[in-house]
Amino acid sequence: MSFVSVQGLGKSYRGVRAVNDFTFDVRQGEVYALVGPDGAGKSTVIRTLCGLIDSDTGEASINGFDCRKQFNHIKPILGYMPQVFSLYPDLTVTENLAFYGGIYGVVGPEYLERVEYLYRFSNLKPFADRRAQALSGGMKQKLALSCALMHQPKILILDEPTTGVDPLSRRQFWEILLQLKEEGVTIIVSTPYMDEVARADRACFVFRGEKLAEGKPAELPGLFEGTLYYFDGPPTMETIDRLNRLGDIRARRFGGGVHVYLKRGITLDEVTPALSEMGFDIKDFNPIKPDLEDCFIQLMEES
Amino acid sequence: MNKAFWGLVRKEFIQVFRDRNMLRIVFAVPIIQLLLFGYVVKLDVKNIRMDVYDFDQSRLSREFVNSTSAGEYFLPTPAQIAILDLEANFQDGSRDMALIIPDGFGKGLESHQNVTIGLVADGSDANMTAIGSGYMARMAQKYARDVVNLRMPLEVKYDVLYNPEAESVYFMVPGIVATLLTMVTIMLTSMAIVRERESGTLEQLLVTPISSTTLLFGKVFPFAVLGLFEMTVALVVGVLWFDIPFVGSPVLLFGLSALYLLTTLGLGLFFSTVTSTQQQAMFFAWFFSVFAILTSGFFTPVWNMPKWLQYVTYVNPMRFFMNIVRGIMMKGAGVTHLLPDIYTLAIFGVIVFGFSAARFSKRAR
Repeated sequence: MSFVSVQGLGKSYRGVRAVNDFTFDVRQGEVYALVGPDGAGKSTVIRTLCGLIDSDTGEASINGFDCRKQFNHIKPILGYMPQVFSLYPDLTVTENLAFYGGIYGVVGPEYLERVEYLYRFSNLKPFADRRAQALSGGMKQKLALSCALMHQPKILILDEPTTGVDPLSRRQFWEILLQLKEEGVTIIVSTPYMDEVARADRACFVFRGEKLAEGKPAELPGLFEGTLYYFDGPPTMETIDRLNRLGDIRARRFGGGVHVYLKRGITLDEVTPALSEMGFDIKDFNPIKPDLEDCFIQLMEES
Repeated sequence: MNKAFWGLVRKEFIQVFRDRNMLRIVFAVPIIQLLLFGYVVKLDVKNIRMDVYDFDQSRLSREFVNSTSAGEYFLPTPAQIAILDLEANFQDGSRDMALIIPDGFGKGLESHQNVTIGLVADGSDANMTAIGSGYMARMAQKYARDVVNLRMPLEVKYDVLYNPEAESVYFMVPGIVATLLTMVTIMLTSMAIVRERESGTLEQLLVTPISSTTLLFGKVFPFAVLGLFEMTVALVVGVLWFDIPFVGSPVLLFGLSALYLLTTLGLGLFFSTVTSTQQQAMFFAWFFSVFAILTSGFFTPVWNMPKWLQYVTYVNPMRFFMNIVRGIMMKGAGVTHLLPDIYTLAIFGVIVFGFSAARFSKRAR
């Protein structure tokens, strides 16, 4: 039986649809990632799960309890980290931790033990007396995570925890998440970063409030249809515009080069004359295996 | 419940004492307000600029006019009787009072008859009017007794232009006490809750097992304490520094203040549910406070307001609290005297706090 269940979730804000018929399940102990650009509807799904908004349609439940009607039963096992830093900037690291200790009823020796544990993985102990506002982005996120973990939740829900955090801190943050998974914590995390998806057990592509695809990170690129080439030339706007002018090709800047998608059923041979005519050397187009981002972009464009 | 509650209270106090601006509001504002009110009121009644219309022109009348300049209370200026236009000098603000000595003043005093002099005051300055006319009455008595050795009193007839109701200085401090308690609790409560909403910390709290009741009381309790603290500061400064008489029971005053806090904290709570930024909350609190102060009888007595406005004052809880504070401090009123006000405040408290708490809990769930 699934630990988290979301069935046919729908939510509109003033007539604008944020999430439409959204369905997914998460098993206990799983790390589940919701991936998508800003405004895709990830936060709406997460905030519904955390009982902060009521959906218009559909149902959401955690551990068998309805997120709307029985949210009080969920609170004790839930740790939530919202998208914006939501601790008290004028309190120190310790004061923030102590505050959440009080809120969750973790006090006395139990609190001291818990704080030691939280300091161990967050490495925040040297900054114990520093005010939260003076922490770096990465440290802030680790402090927020520590507070959300104060009561040893069974499920952790994180809304874009690594947005605006430097790459090194992002990696450290994910290492902490994977360590928590080892301890049996179920994790639902949203992110705009494709590279983080690979670390999840399963991921779900979200775009315009719809679920585009869902699966294991290794399997998702298999959903890519057609063929993909890497154009080893300067990724200028002009080059990309010229490539896109050919109807059967979609070109997109990718790192230092250009990814060229050929639509289903079209081969490179068929577009070679046109490419040559435009002055491209066909040897510069090398077939590559699509990755998660290629897959997501294709799904987005087709939706 | 208790641990979470005290955790909230502790956190709130840490935040207040760490915020310099908050500290200024809590400590400096009551003292500055008191000193300002106290000294402005005290200094204003010296050097009253006074026209003298001497219809008598006798030795005694000149002597009396001279005697009024003693002690720097009055600055008498002889005025030309030919142009007896009292209001002209009031309207351009060059004079505060006019003294009218009738013909026969000297003769009357010499023959030990009852003599009346006239005093006209610019009532738009209520404190000057009240205190200045008091001085004049005493000076007239003193002159009649000491200088002329008169047994009959020298009567002063007042006429106060523009505002017949003159407030007394001692009305000020109880007024400030009521004002401070109202403004501080409404403003701090609404701003503190909205700040949590602005920063997202309220949302974070809503997913924790803390109950909305605990959250609510944990948020308002610290400001009840701070409000009463401010009130204490104002009272201590008022009594020790300005020698304001405190006739009644301080215990009763604090008890009824706590009852009044139910309304102001409820209002703070309410404003926090209808605003989304600290500026908005402050604006609401400010606007309400101005309305509450003006219609509370702090400066202008309620019975001196237009009829329709008098009805409006009935929806102002501060009006009833003002009665209570003044009643206890100045008249030594007890519970029995204040019962109507107490009942009214209790009803206000239950309705306002109950409604706001329900609104807050519904939003907080």
